[in-house]
Amino acid sequence: MLVKLLSGSMKKMWKDYLVLLFGLTISIAIFYMFETLAQNKAFLEANALISSIVFVFHVGTFILGLVTIFYIFYATSFVLSLRQKELGMYMTLGAKKGKVTQMMFLETLVIGIISLIIGLIVGVGLSEGIARLLMARLDFSGEGFHALYQSSLWTTVIFYMILFLLTAIVNAIRIARKSVLELLHADQIADNKVIKGWKTFVGTLFAIVLIAVGYFAMINMGELAHAGVIIATATVTPGTYFFFMAMLPFIIKRIKGIRTINEKGLNAFTYAQLDFRVSQLSKVLGTVAMLIALGLGAMTAGLSFYHNTEIQSSMMHAYDVKVLEPTDKELTEMENWEFEERNLYSYRVTDEGVYFSKDELQTNPPVIKEITGNLDELTKETRLEDDLTAPVYTTDETDNAELMPEQWHTALRSELMANFYIFGDRALYILDQEKFEAINADTQTVFVGKVENFIDHANTLEEIDERHHQLAVKYTGEEPTMSGSKYEDYISLKSIANGTIFMGMFLGVAFLMMMASVLMFKLLSSATVDIDRYQMLRKIGVRHAKLKKSIYKELFLVFLFPGLIGLVHVLIGMEMFSFILIEPYTKIWLPISMFLVIYGLYYLLTVKMYQRIVLPKN
Amino acid sequence: MTKSVVNVENVQKIFGKKSENQYKALDNVSFTIKEGEFVGIMGPSGAGKTTLLNVVSTLDKATSGKIEIAGQDITDMKQNALADFRSEQLGFIFQDFNLLENLTVYENIALPLSLQGFSSKKIKPLVTQVAEKLGIKSILPKYPVTISGGQKQRAAAARALVHEPAIILADEPTGALDSKNAHSLMKTMEHLNQYHDVSIMLVTHDPLSASYCERILFIQDGTLYKEITKSGDQQQFHQQILNVLAELTSIQSS
Repeated sequence: MLVKLLSGSMKKMWKDYLVLLFGLTISIAIFYMFETLAQNKAFLEANALISSIVFVFHVGTFILGLVTIFYIFYATSFVLSLRQKELGMYMTLGAKKGKVTQMMFLETLVIGIISLIIGLIVGVGLSEGIARLLMARLDFSGEGFHALYQSSLWTTVIFYMILFLLTAIVNAIRIARKSVLELLHADQIADNKVIKGWKTFVGTLFAIVLIAVGYFAMINMGELAHAGVIIATATVTPGTYFFFMAMLPFIIKRIKGIRTINEKGLNAFTYAQLDFRVSQLSKVLGTVAMLIALGLGAMTAGLSFYHNTEIQSSMMHAYDVKVLEPTDKELTEMENWEFEERNLYSYRVTDEGVYFSKDELQTNPPVIKEITGNLDELTKETRLEDDLTAPVYTTDETDNAELMPEQWHTALRSELMANFYIFGDRALYILDQEKFEAINADTQTVFVGKVENFIDHANTLEEIDERHHQLAVKYTGEEPTMSGSKYEDYISLKSIANGTIFMGMFLGVAFLMMMASVLMFKLLSSATVDIDRYQMLRKIGVRHAKLKKSIYKELFLVFLFPGLIGLVHVLIGMEMFSFILIEPYTKIWLPISMFLVIYGLYYLLTVKMYQRIVLPKN
Repeated sequence: MTKSVVNVENVQKIFGKKSENQYKALDNVSFTIKEGEFVGIMGPSGAGKTTLLNVVSTLDKATSGKIEIAGQDITDMKQNALADFRSEQLGFIFQDFNLLENLTVYENIALPLSLQGFSSKKIKPLVTQVAEKLGIKSILPKYPVTISGGQKQRAAAARALVHEPAIILADEPTGALDSKNAHSLMKTMEHLNQYHDVSIMLVTHDPLSASYCERILFIQDGTLYKEITKSGDQQQFHQQILNVLAELTSIQSS
């Protein structure tokens, strides 16, 4: 009988249950997705640039777990709100309290188990799909990544089973504590809790102090290392929730308290909508803010690694384009490039050495990158200015001639590509014009130049590198593994970074998806109550356009605060990476504007969906 | 001569499309309500009371015929104009109060004024005034869930009155109230009508509530069946109403 009643009413309210199942399923799927990465130690260690990546994922698991706990408790309390009136009715018809409590317990648990099964299937599917998509985009083989990862599966099952058991117990207790009358009139009772002044004050204080400490830890990550990550996690997460539980309601109440604002048009209603469910909203918004911070953080970090490969490759190369013995085809191609600086140097090659003309080098001195020993600026660009007075300079120590100054050696080796890969163990010489002319070999040239963005010319640079390899075969007799060009460095750095980028993007997508589902859930679960309210307003003569505007405004504020907090978390949080990345903030506008566009579109979609639910069609 | 606030001429309301099974909810209904009048609409369930109210209150469109309220023809108005018209000229009182439970009583009453762009300086005295009139000044800062049904209905009445509409449309306002609260509310409405010249159109099936009206229109199967006007005291009128209702019941059962 009990089961019959249960399933019967579930069928009746299947739409509400669908919303709930959807919310839970996505949460489980995302948790699982995260764990497929977090527990795959071998994959992490093989593919990450960060040595303590496993530790980072432990912290991630902790934050995600915490956020999930908040979310699941909120979501399952929805079951209670859906059913209490009906359960109250059963009680008036003679159902015993124990029976009703048992029903609530079972129902919450059953819904949990159903969503766990679906969630895991969806999770495996999503992991596989997103991983494939990203790997293809990134040219990343991703060996060792498994969408179906057993230990992750178990962790997810155990974690959620415990959570669902707990929430089932909580729901049962909450039902047991309520009187029949309270249950029957549940839908009329406003959960508009009066917030006590001192509680708001303490909460706000906590929020500010915790977030401040967390930010401090993140900014000083260099000195604090692992402890910094732990401190930041332990402070920013609860700080965010405190913000939404104490500060935001306070702010809204304050705005509502200003009568000139509140009594303007529909404002009273709009702010009341926000204020009314403030206790529920706070948990959701806290969760959303944290998910935005995690998702956007992961994406920004990933992209930041990507852009840093460009910076890293620039670290040791002053010139972007270096071409030994350029062909006519290459020269015509390069005619169209906009060079900030370009030079052509002559050299001659014999079996013993590579010879450069001193006059040429002195008229157009090249620039080199020098290591500074300063952490803020690892290398700096220097133009060689010192006079070369001797007629001959060499790198051959057995020779009697003057030894080549270190800077000039760097210039020839790194910038003019007179390096070991191409020329083998030939010595390098800088000769005056007379001696240079005396070398019995053809004059060759090396072209060097700086461009705005060398990635734009990737194809040509790759071809040039290939030709350099052939050139090396000519001079040394064997094909080298590399030629020492900037582009080559960039490619190899990128392939190392790809694993990290993959993780960042994978998690970014996962977290933002969960964020979307949490917001959607909040929205749809409160829409039913709102239908009557909007209908009522329509009756007393509120224009359709005004109702629409009110929805835009209400949801804008719902979206604004977590978006803002999440964004600030990310902006400060990127400072954490400053000890791994040279410039963590490079091109940070890219992921942020991507996020803003997606978030904005999601906002508009949400508004439209909401309007369709609560406003009648004209 | 007093002006008419509501003028209904040959109104028809047909539900269902032409090809489908059509149902005439209102058939050639005509009547007028004069300024300051307290008119009741009565009839058995399904007679068309609510349809009539919806059509007069601009929430629904009549299939044909003409409806004028405060001199304005509402049958051809567009959605937005209708919304504005409702917010300016009509006051609603519903059976289930229809207060927004996320707003305080004060905010609920202030809403029609806010919507018309009154400044908050002007709103406060108006709200206080109408609350005093209805005896609910002390509950203004409370939320609807914390007050009784009678108080809720008074709050709803205050909201309907605050912007001084041309007419108040009341749909079974006593339906969810106990007899004491119902009596008290009807007394208040009578008072508003008599001393503040508020025009009221009351839809009800409760003969006792109806006996506070000055005139009652009975509808049956979508047409106006009979009209009676109060001549003696309330007791007599009540008896008169009961007689008509008995007639109606005997027609129905025969």
